[in-house]
Amino acid sequence: MTAFSRRSVLLLLGSAPAAGRCALAAPPTRRVAVLDWAIAETMIALGHDPIAVVAAMDWSRFVIEPALPPGVADIGLEQQINYELLAELRPELILTSPFSQELEPVLRRIAPTERFSVFEPTRVPLECPRALMRTLAARLGCAPQADEFLRRADALLESYRGRIASLRPRPVLVISFLDARHARVYGGNGLFQNVLDRIGVVNAWTGATNYWGFATVGIESLATAADVRLVVIDPVPVDARPTLAQSPLWLSLPFVRAGQVSVLPPVLMFGAMPAALRFARVLLAALEQGSA
Amino acid sequence: MRLAVRASFPLQLTLGLLILSVGAAAALLHAPLAHVLGHRAAPGAYDLTRMVLLYATLPRLAVAVLCGAALGASGTILQQVLNNPLASPTTVGVDAGARLALALATVWAPDLLQWGRDLIALCGSAASTALVFLLVRRRGFAPLSIVLAGLVVSLFCGALSALLALTEARQLTSLFIWGSGSLSQQSWSPFLSLAARLLLLAVPLLLLRRPLALLDAGEDSARSLGLPAARVRLAAIAIAVAISALVVSTVGVIGFLGLVAPSLARLAGARRFGAQLAWSTIIGSGVLLLTDLAVQLLAGASAQFLPTGAVTAVIGSPLLLILLPRLQSATRPPISSTGATVPVLRRGWVAAVTAALLLLVALSVFAGRGAMGHWTLLTESWSTIVTWRLPRVLATAASGALLATAGVVLQRLTHNELASPEVLGVSAGSILAVALALFAFGALGAVPEALVATLGSLVVLLIILALGVRASFAPERLLLAGIALSALADAIVGVVSASGDPRAFQLLAWMAGSAAGATYGDALLAAAAAVVVLGAALLAVRWLRILPLGAPVSTALGVRLARARLALLLIAAVGSAAATPMLGPLTIIGLVAPHFVTALGVRQPAALLLGAAGAGAGIMAGADWLARTLVFPMQLPTGLLAAMVGAPFLMVLLNRRDERS
Repeated sequence: MTAFSRRSVLLLLGSAPAAGRCALAAPPTRRVAVLDWAIAETMIALGHDPIAVVAAMDWSRFVIEPALPPGVADIGLEQQINYELLAELRPELILTSPFSQELEPVLRRIAPTERFSVFEPTRVPLECPRALMRTLAARLGCAPQADEFLRRADALLESYRGRIASLRPRPVLVISFLDARHARVYGGNGLFQNVLDRIGVVNAWTGATNYWGFATVGIESLATAADVRLVVIDPVPVDARPTLAQSPLWLSLPFVRAGQVSVLPPVLMFGAMPAALRFARVLLAALEQGSA
Repeated sequence: MRLAVRASFPLQLTLGLLILSVGAAAALLHAPLAHVLGHRAAPGAYDLTRMVLLYATLPRLAVAVLCGAALGASGTILQQVLNNPLASPTTVGVDAGARLALALATVWAPDLLQWGRDLIALCGSAASTALVFLLVRRRGFAPLSIVLAGLVVSLFCGALSALLALTEARQLTSLFIWGSGSLSQQSWSPFLSLAARLLLLAVPLLLLRRPLALLDAGEDSARSLGLPAARVRLAAIAIAVAISALVVSTVGVIGFLGLVAPSLARLAGARRFGAQLAWSTIIGSGVLLLTDLAVQLLAGASAQFLPTGAVTAVIGSPLLLILLPRLQSATRPPISSTGATVPVLRRGWVAAVTAALLLLVALSVFAGRGAMGHWTLLTESWSTIVTWRLPRVLATAASGALLATAGVVLQRLTHNELASPEVLGVSAGSILAVALALFAFGALGAVPEALVATLGSLVVLLIILALGVRASFAPERLLLAGIALSALADAIVGVVSASGDPRAFQLLAWMAGSAAGATYGDALLAAAAAVVVLGAALLAVRWLRILPLGAPVSTALGVRLARARLALLLIAAVGSAAATPMLGPLTIIGLVAPHFVTALGVRQPAALLLGAAGAGAGIMAGADWLARTLVFPMQLPTGLLAAMVGAPFLMVLLNRRDERS
């Protein structure tokens, strides 16, 4: 009854045919509800669409791809689950992450509930989202699809790495604006840093970050004399541009003066493999455009 | 001679602040200053250190000085006009309104921000201040009532802001940065525009300085000197509100500075209004400058984003506690909470309202929305109703009854009709404990979290009791201790949320309560607690009748004051603590339900208790139904919805009673 879509996989991996649908492996659990977007996007990439996901109505604003298949139910906000609706959907399995673990006693009254780790600081880039995909696929009975996806993802990232190497881009500062005076700057062990490491882009942010790999800073902290490119992830608050246009500090920054600023479409920061591939693709596009 | 010594104190304090600030500034600035002075920049060359010093560090310090001065002035004016040593933009609800208005604009009309941040903040502040005055005008602007009403309005605004933050999770950080006041700057333009606007306000303020000073001599003598006291007060309040709204629109909420600065000025010996205004302005800027320097020095050492405004709130909220003894002299003799008017019991109305409340409970059990979002009535499967709705409705209704009972007891105990369970600070204790646990150990799971929360509220209870013993359970002190604690919890939640840490979201969700997943066990526990608390209150009904007559009368009638107060306090504290797991820390229903029943003419304490418990249960079930169905499939937190429905309702009730008298 769920419409399995290969579109998302195709979208990510060029025109290569997908390795097949998860459902063909006859997994015992087809009706899966998901409380975490990273898990949901990984499932969609595996061709095993969830039947319900939290905050589905915001998906198209913040995740964008893979697109949420039509018919996936919205079960409310991350921390305010619509239990009545969820129970009515009769899931066979509910997947949570550590961010929703305190809801598990209630969820277990509806269906068996399992928790997957969606973020852990690791030394090997992208180890955590890869592990998530493998364990998830093993649980859902589509291990071959995961192997195939990861193989193609690796090939893709490797080709990106080659293109980056020939571009020789300057180091990047990856940020998103919180308002006209504050930004979140990415680094540490976060997903974006993992991608930068994997495709061979140097992060210009050397300051400390929190456990999740970002720091909330005043925009003056971005001031650096180094020759860097600023990569801004949408959405940018409406008052940020006009305010910054009045700031001598901002206007004098080397990357602003040299026009070394790129704006990327939204990418899910707390995402998994699909978000990592999306970030790599849009970043590469921006760098190629910037150096052209 | 003694006067001369006193007069030099503010000077000493200011000198102290100045010396400390210079020291901290030297630590922060010596390297960039040495660099800038040492190197003559080649024309056109980019000098990072120089640019950061000139356009980030220095404007930030200038903004700190300016905002500190502005808030010091605003607080002094409010204290003078209201004759209330606890008045300030934070305690009178001015800040909360501006913050809510900015949050609303950020989420729903971001384009507005570009054009008129000032105007938005001003509208919000004016509205919340007007609301506070509306609430207290019946009580003759009594100092304690103003602070309590300010708290109620602040909590209402805070509930709405938190609701916005929960539904717009991805804008959470930006909302909290404004709520916590970050002084970060990248140019001189915010400073210049704020300075220009404040200068415009300084003109009418200087004109008002003398008339305001005359208020020192008291209302009557001021009037006999030909002073239009009411108009002076109104104009002065407008100026104070405008000043603080401008500060909020520039940097966000700098909590409690408007209380800290005038208090320090007065403690240091500034007696007359003119001196207080001058010294408070100077001390305010010194305190904010010093705080911000300390924050910047600390921030250099850690990755944690620390908004200065929240830090001033953490420092400032305990000051409320220290200031408590000073309030005694300013407090008017207790007005009996039974008021001047004795409405007639309207039996027809009572029957109608009881029927309506029962209908509300039935509706919340049997009406809902189906999977496709369509409305359903009696068509839901039994399993949905039995598994999910029934325990949820029972648990929320019982929690509503608990809060209502606690409210009645507190209002009688403190002779203050604006006293509500949250002002005890019990829920603030559990919030602080859970926040601490969440950040020290990570997510704990539901059961340990509940234990930690209980522990937190118990600790607060013990503190309340210890404080109470010393003050022989004087109600005003306890209430204000609770307010101080709530403000502290609010500031810490602000710091945590402004950092963008994902755990902040979990904390907010926990604060929203867990009515949605309630089991029969939860429902039974809440119901049992409701029965016990209501039963205990009914046993104490004699005290509830006598205590509002005042301490001398009560003692004369043979009530042992300390014992009675302790018992009632325990009942109220247990009642509000038992409701927290389901509904979160928003307990405004404990204010709404008793007033609702009083408006129907119920007067007898026993009937009032039973009626309020029933009304609390019914209203809560109704609020929960709205939370469940309003924006289906999204589920809103019940406690927040109760606050949203309850607060306007309360204002209507209080206003109606006002007109009748």
